[in-house]
Amino acid sequence: MDKTDAIEQLLEFIIDTYMVEREEVPLDESLIDEGIIDSFGLIEIASFLENTFTIKIEDEELIRENFGSIIKMIEFVNRKKSNA
Amino acid sequence: MCGVFGVLGHSSDSDTRRELIKSAISALEHRGPDEWGIYNTSKVGLGHTRLSIIDVQDGHQPMKSDDYVISYNGEIFNYLELREELVAQGCHFNTHSDTEVILKIYQYFGVDGFVKLNGQFAALIWDASINSLVVVRDRLGIRPLYCVTFENNVYFSSEMKAFDTIPGFKRTVNPNHLFEHALFWNTLADKTVYESIRSISAGTYEIFNSSGEHKVSRYYQIGETLASQKQESYDESRDSFKALLADSVKLRLRSDVPVGAYLSGGIDSTVISYMVNEQTNHAFKTFSVAFEDERLDESKYQIMASAEIGSIHSSVVISNEDIDNNISNAIYYGERPVFRTAPVPLHLLSKDVQQHDIKVVLTGEGADEILCGYDVFKELKILNHWKNNPNSESIVQSIQSLYPHLDHYADKRRFGLMKMYYEGFLNSYENDFAGLNIRMTNNKVIANYFNKDLGITYNEEEQLETLRSILPDDYANWTLMQKQSFLELKTLLPGYLLSSQGDRMAMSHSIEGRFPFLDHRVVEKAFAMPDEYKLKNFDQKHILKDIFKDNIPKQITDRPKRPYMAPDLAAFIGDNGAMTPMASDMLSEQKVNEYGLFDYTMIQKFLRKFRRGVPETTGYRDNMIFIFILTSQLASYWIENPRYNSLDENNCKVDISE
Repeated sequence: MDKTDAIEQLLEFIIDTYMVEREEVPLDESLIDEGIIDSFGLIEIASFLENTFTIKIEDEELIRENFGSIIKMIEFVNRKKSNA
Repeated sequence: MCGVFGVLGHSSDSDTRRELIKSAISALEHRGPDEWGIYNTSKVGLGHTRLSIIDVQDGHQPMKSDDYVISYNGEIFNYLELREELVAQGCHFNTHSDTEVILKIYQYFGVDGFVKLNGQFAALIWDASINSLVVVRDRLGIRPLYCVTFENNVYFSSEMKAFDTIPGFKRTVNPNHLFEHALFWNTLADKTVYESIRSISAGTYEIFNSSGEHKVSRYYQIGETLASQKQESYDESRDSFKALLADSVKLRLRSDVPVGAYLSGGIDSTVISYMVNEQTNHAFKTFSVAFEDERLDESKYQIMASAEIGSIHSSVVISNEDIDNNISNAIYYGERPVFRTAPVPLHLLSKDVQQHDIKVVLTGEGADEILCGYDVFKELKILNHWKNNPNSESIVQSIQSLYPHLDHYADKRRFGLMKMYYEGFLNSYENDFAGLNIRMTNNKVIANYFNKDLGITYNEEEQLETLRSILPDDYANWTLMQKQSFLELKTLLPGYLLSSQGDRMAMSHSIEGRFPFLDHRVVEKAFAMPDEYKLKNFDQKHILKDIFKDNIPKQITDRPKRPYMAPDLAAFIGDNGAMTPMASDMLSEQKVNEYGLFDYTMIQKFLRKFRRGVPETTGYRDNMIFIFILTSQLASYWIENPRYNSLDENNCKVDISE
């Protein structure tokens, strides 16, 4: 998996869905704490990751280490894909 | 209920001043369609439009007694007791109205008399003995009162639209206040969304001398009796709270015209209706909002409650089209943007009440604020437990209990995601904002939609500073639940529930709402109760449910709390993605640029998301953003297109020129 492409895909989804400008989306901060998404947003993003990268996210993986920023999410997806 | 207007120091001739007052109160005619009156001198002008409820024959206003003249909106519920007290002191009364009671309370006790009043009121009292205008507002801000200084004159009014009639004056939206309003669903302290117009703060009075200089004094603060209230056991609290609530209802049934009640299908309004029924020996009328969209409709519970109580029930069924057709009018009356369309059905409900010849309704507002009825109280409890027990395994289950009515949370796995969401507040919930941190974080995204030229940014420190200006000295010593109660009573309740959704929607059809849970004795009692009486584990309003468990249907007390909701986005965007003509017009490039508040490109981007209609899963945030922008545009529209009414001279009952 190309991480840069994956980040780009996720960014596009976020920009389209949450009506923010690209420069307003930090790659290494929590999207919730920044007010870009609310609790519903996290659920939408999790579904987006599952569908786009054909992965299944398990209960115990729902932690800030995996979802705390765009970079963390993509690294998490990457680990899932590599282990698959 | 009525509309009041006042002006200080208008130096024009008597006829011009009378005309100015008359046209101002013509904008308040809906608040008081029965009659109007004017008191007009070179020092002060007072206007009044009256909805006659107590002493229909004689209680005309403005009312004069010796050196004192009053124009007053509202009710003093304990006026009979106060009248007795005054008579015992040798006071002579000319009418049987509560207006004369408040006037004479001031005459006998001065501003120290305001603490004696149990009611919902805004009053302008001219005191010629000190050449000053005394303005006072009820403890919790149930009745509105605004003030603006323009060209060296100070003006007062029940509604801001009356200021539109002042020659040369035009309301202007202050974008920073508008953003603050978006963060909290209310502007903080005494600000309004408009430039230079402020509110008289709840629980205060102000004394203006004839040159407009003024001094503000507070006569009530929420929680002021905390230290002096005696600690009661749970059983004692149950009994004393029930007795107090019954007395509050009894006082609020005082009226010379028939009284009805709103019935939402929830516990609060059912309890109030039950208590009304207990205290009257005739069938009374209850009123409800029902929806065509069955996901929002609560008719089943409303009918159940009405049947149990034995009321004569009426409901209005609201469609998506009704929302679209009436939201503009609702904003005309409400005068400020809202975040959901829920006020619109209440605007239509008050019309139904009016058609049933009822002028006064009792409602259940205030119970959620004083008895921990909102989810935010549970959220704070969870955060606090989590902070103190970081490894607790029950956090996810607790979060799950928060939203039983949201379908997509049925997938249990998703609660892990919710936990991550709440984790972000572990560091902030203990600051002065308590649960408002959650509301602010969810709402700050709105900054992105403002016109970039306005430079709107979110600055938490600044907001905290403003908030601290309204906090009482002992706030830091309160429990989290008490803090949140206070914040709800100061933000959402007056800024949205009692005004946009309450007073203004009821008064749009000349209906007066009365709120037994907001009797200050009830508020103080609830405030002083231990938290666990109100929120037992996660059982909200526990003591209230317990008191009435044998009196109201179990299905109503046991059901999960559902917020009262009306169709939002779906009322304005069809399945094919087409917007209604009204919404298209208000969100057009021309109108967005003309009013200058928002960024048209951002609005377009937002709307693109709904080009194939409004998905079932659309959440709180998108609905809120859309309704906020649309209704901000409508508020601007009404600034540009003020309505002018004229009053019938035959209805003028007081016309004093001195």
